[in-house]
Amino acid sequence: MYDAKLDERVTTMDDIKISARGVQVWYGDTHAIKDVDVDIADRTVTAFIGPSGCGKSTFLRCLNRMNDTIDSARVEGTILLDDENIYDKRVDPVQLRAKVGMVFQKPNPFPKSIYDNVAYGPRIHGLARNKAELDDIVEKALRRAALWNEAKDRLQAPGTGLSGGQQQRLCIARAVATEPEVLLMDEPCSALDPIATAQVEELIDELRENFSVVIVTHSMQQAARVSQRTAFFHLGNLVEYDVTDRIFTNPSDPRTESYISGRIG
Amino acid sequence: MTDFTSAGGEAVELRRGQSLLTVDRKTRRRNAAEGRFKVYGLIAISIALVMLVILLVTIVVRGIPAFTQTFVSLDVPLRAEVLDPDGTGDPEVIRGVMTFGYAPLIEEALADAVAETGVQTEIDAAALVQMLSSGVAADIRDRVQENPELVGETVTIEVLASSRADGYFKGRVTRESLERDRNLSPAHLDVLDAMRDAGIVSIHFNWDFVWGADASESRPEEAGIGVAMIGSFFMMLVVLVLSLPIGVAASIYLEEFAPKNRFTDLIEVNISNLAAVPSIVFGILGLAAFIQFAGLPQSAPLVGGLVLTLMTLPTIIISTRASLKAVPPSIRDAALGVGASKMQSVFHHVLPLAMPGILTGTIIGLAQALGETAPLLLIGMVGFIASNRPDGLAEGLLSPNSAMPAQIYEWAKRADPAYYERAWGGIIVLLLFLLAMNLIAILLRRRFERRW
Repeated sequence: MYDAKLDERVTTMDDIKISARGVQVWYGDTHAIKDVDVDIADRTVTAFIGPSGCGKSTFLRCLNRMNDTIDSARVEGTILLDDENIYDKRVDPVQLRAKVGMVFQKPNPFPKSIYDNVAYGPRIHGLARNKAELDDIVEKALRRAALWNEAKDRLQAPGTGLSGGQQQRLCIARAVATEPEVLLMDEPCSALDPIATAQVEELIDELRENFSVVIVTHSMQQAARVSQRTAFFHLGNLVEYDVTDRIFTNPSDPRTESYISGRIG
Repeated sequence: MTDFTSAGGEAVELRRGQSLLTVDRKTRRRNAAEGRFKVYGLIAISIALVMLVILLVTIVVRGIPAFTQTFVSLDVPLRAEVLDPDGTGDPEVIRGVMTFGYAPLIEEALADAVAETGVQTEIDAAALVQMLSSGVAADIRDRVQENPELVGETVTIEVLASSRADGYFKGRVTRESLERDRNLSPAHLDVLDAMRDAGIVSIHFNWDFVWGADASESRPEEAGIGVAMIGSFFMMLVVLVLSLPIGVAASIYLEEFAPKNRFTDLIEVNISNLAAVPSIVFGILGLAAFIQFAGLPQSAPLVGGLVLTLMTLPTIIISTRASLKAVPPSIRDAALGVGASKMQSVFHHVLPLAMPGILTGTIIGLAQALGETAPLLLIGMVGFIASNRPDGLAEGLLSPNSAMPAQIYEWAKRADPAYYERAWGGIIVLLLFLLAMNLIAILLRRRFERRW
């Protein structure tokens, strides 16, 4: 199942980037996340898997407080990013989201040029002092997203004119252009064909050099291919969280085994 | 229309083994129902189109004559012994001559013109003047006052024919209808025919109808919609300047920032209700609030604009909220995801995408306000301004004025059929304005439309 894995890198839990303790989420009266504890390592790809509605996307959106935009959502517990609680009253979610970037399920480039899409984040955060610096940032971000060669000749063309896979890589470029420390990806390949998926997966593996990547996916093969650690969510509970290899070969919880072998989900 | 149970209690036919080449009864009935529905639709559209054609044809046929007018070309002798007996050349002296002094000169010029045609008539010179507009003397006096050096010369001036004479050439006035008319007799018509043949009387386009001011009840040939146009323009200015920013700001707040609770629900319901409130209610509100309470002047375009703003705001808010809602949430997520604040995401991304819808809604709201009459009647926006010269009476937000629909209403109310014709002409001008505004809306839509 994981024979297509890109490469093996030893990961340790020495360097913890995000540490969640006792996280509970309610949407109105619905208890969506039940008491989840997770430690996410730096420079690692962590995958969240589980059946639809199990809360993995909800939990992901807690990590950059995107749930704040939903009126009925209520979050309890603590999530520490570099030992600072992101749900502390003093934390401004806007500042947090500059540190914790996000890539969404459906490619959602702004209806602007490719250049403006990537330059938007750096512009609003004031990362560049002049046009030349901004050009450098845009080029670097597009190179990291493996889109530079395709896009360099048409930076002023609308981002919405790209193909689906290119659009998603543009969204990744847009996310990395603000130099986040963590990159959250919510099913980034679910709207892409297998070739585009392979390109994005390769990209995710490269991004691990610089970022801590958290990816939600429906595809267990994808989790096995790109991630070093995997968390299995079921009905709002974190059932099992371990090194990816162990989850897929020797899970300790029978529910994980059932899901992986296709009996539930 | 579509029922799920099989009618008549008949058994459902077995499908297995049935040929596809023969259409079964149920399918045939379904197809027939679909065909009937299409026919209903076509009939509905045809009725609507026919109504529209009838409406437009009527407006054009009845309104077009208002744009042309009958003119009489006269060689008026501006005799110095009448206008400036002492030969001073002093404008003050010339100003002292009233229209009464010009009347004999016009009578003389007209009698000469009639004599020139060679037509025999028993009408005396004083009665012949009935063929001309009663405002002719004033027009000539204005002209002489502007150019005092004309005194002593004979100038060729094109003057307005009276509305009866004008109506005769347009087919509105007939010999029968003149039998009991005090102003014009059938004998006048013979003279008019002869003058027409001699080229002294001509009918051509009358710009004064488009740019001119209203005239008194007895002089429909002089009335124009121009001043009312100025009034409407100022009102639209007030409406645009007030309702666009207020409406858009309110919609953005309600749609993007306001918490969803009972209070905002209440506001939302009330905005929808306000859009359906009869406009005359806004009129009486404006009368009470702006004129009686705030003490603003009556008949002022500012007050009219304020009332129409109240009326337009719900329309703009509803359409703006609809176009904000139509922007996909993924765009907001994308902006928030790279660390934009709520306001940045709205102003950098959501608002530009909603712009075509907002502008269309605004212009439709403005067009609606442009055609609104009832509230204007209540705040007295039916000022009678017979001349906008020389001091620009109707210029400004606080000077009394009228508005196009109110002017049309006034004309339609007056007894003279010539005014009825002008009302139709006014409707054409109003419709042209609405057409222009809709065109602008379409162009702006094209200009701002973007795909996502």
